[in-house]
Amino acid sequence: MHELTILQAIYLSLERVARQYGARRVVSFKLEIGEMANVVPELLEDAFKVLKAAEPLLKDARMEYEIVPLTLMCLECGYTGPWRDRTVACPECGSAIVRVIDGEDILLRDVELDVPEDHEEDKG
Amino acid sequence: MYRKTMKRIKVDVKREVLRANDMLAETLRREWKDRGILVVNLLSSPGSGKTALLERTVEALKDKYRVLVLEGDIDTERDAERIRAKGVEAVQITTGGTCHLEANMVMRAWEEVSGEDWDFLFIENVGNLICPAGFDLGEHLRVVLISVPEGDDKPAKYPKAFMTSRWLVLTKMDLLPYFDFSPEKVIEEARRLRPDLRVFRTSAKTGEGIDEWVEALEETLHALRETGLSAG
Ligand SMILES: Nc1nc2c(ncn2[C@@H]2O[C@H](COP(=O)(O)OP(=O)(O)OP(=O)(O)O)[C@@H](O)[C@H]2O)c(=O)[nH]1
Ligand SMILES: [Mg+2]
Ligand SMILES: [Zn+2]
Repeated sequence: MHELTILQAIYLSLERVARQYGARRVVSFKLEIGEMANVVPELLEDAFKVLKAAEPLLKDARMEYEIVPLTLMCLECGYTGPWRDRTVACPECGSAIVRVIDGEDILLRDVELDVPEDHEEDKG
Repeated sequence: MYRKTMKRIKVDVKREVLRANDMLAETLRREWKDRGILVVNLLSSPGSGKTALLERTVEALKDKYRVLVLEGDIDTERDAERIRAKGVEAVQITTGGTCHLEANMVMRAWEEVSGEDWDFLFIENVGNLICPAGFDLGEHLRVVLISVPEGDDKPAKYPKAFMTSRWLVLTKMDLLPYFDFSPEKVIEEARRLRPDLRVFRTSAKTGEGIDEWVEALEETLHALRETGLSAG
């Protein structure tokens, strides 16, 4: 499973944000996981435990996530919304000319940090 | 015990996590296209017959074309040796436990052999229908395989592999009389996920369907070179 690889990529992003704000601890972070991102949340949680034990930055961190449904845009009738019946065709007009516009990626969203009161944000 | 007082802040970073792989894959795809090399990524469950299909394929292509195979495996060299036994160059990529290939692994293997000219590059992904579907390797053509003994419910269970593949190969067709497997059901379900899916039915054992598959590969190579687009 590649959940640990994914979390390591997330960790690199967290590290960058923490450095930018001068934080030594991440309090929490939130992920948006696409329904078709091929991630098993339970395995992600296991991998997170491994990473927490290894990285002081994450020692007390909480990981939250939300599943984002696969979202289509129909290029024929303009329908934009979730897919239906596990079919990548437009649920309104049946057209096969659709684009997947959401639900395939993993997005790192809100990161909560404890930062010293007097820290100046480190730009760049 | 804080030496400084702390405040808690929230930052919305909105950063996509798998982007690095996609960027690398795009770079590889452009290089291969510019050099006129058709790159095919084969996906399936373990044991569906990827290597067996490739053995037949390289045999059919090797007299006319320069063919290279990258073999993804968790830890053995066996599949690369099977291809070399056919007189075709193969590079083994052992992933060391990872259940899929990533663009950076393919790039490292490719760099060993990129000095030579090639017509076809086949990448056999690690046997797994879930994770490989999430990783673009820069291929022009993604092909998913299902073998007759596996059963016909694969598309519904692993939609992403079917949504992202342009071709489907039903393998081990010689076993059809012995299994409760409906090709029509698989094709119907797979086309709900991917309406333009092209389907082949093959047997590496009897050679059924191999000619049609090989011809389609040749046509796709020519389309890539002539129009810059891959047909199929
Ligand atoms: N009857 C029959 N058996 C086949 C056919 N193709 C492959 N096999 C058998 O299926 C088994 C697995 O075939 P492979 O080609 O090694 O499958 P694979 O997808 O490369 O397997 P992994 O690399 O382990 O994921 C072998 O025992 C093959 O002999 C076929 O067309 N007909
Ligand atoms: Mg194999
Ligand atoms: Zn529509």
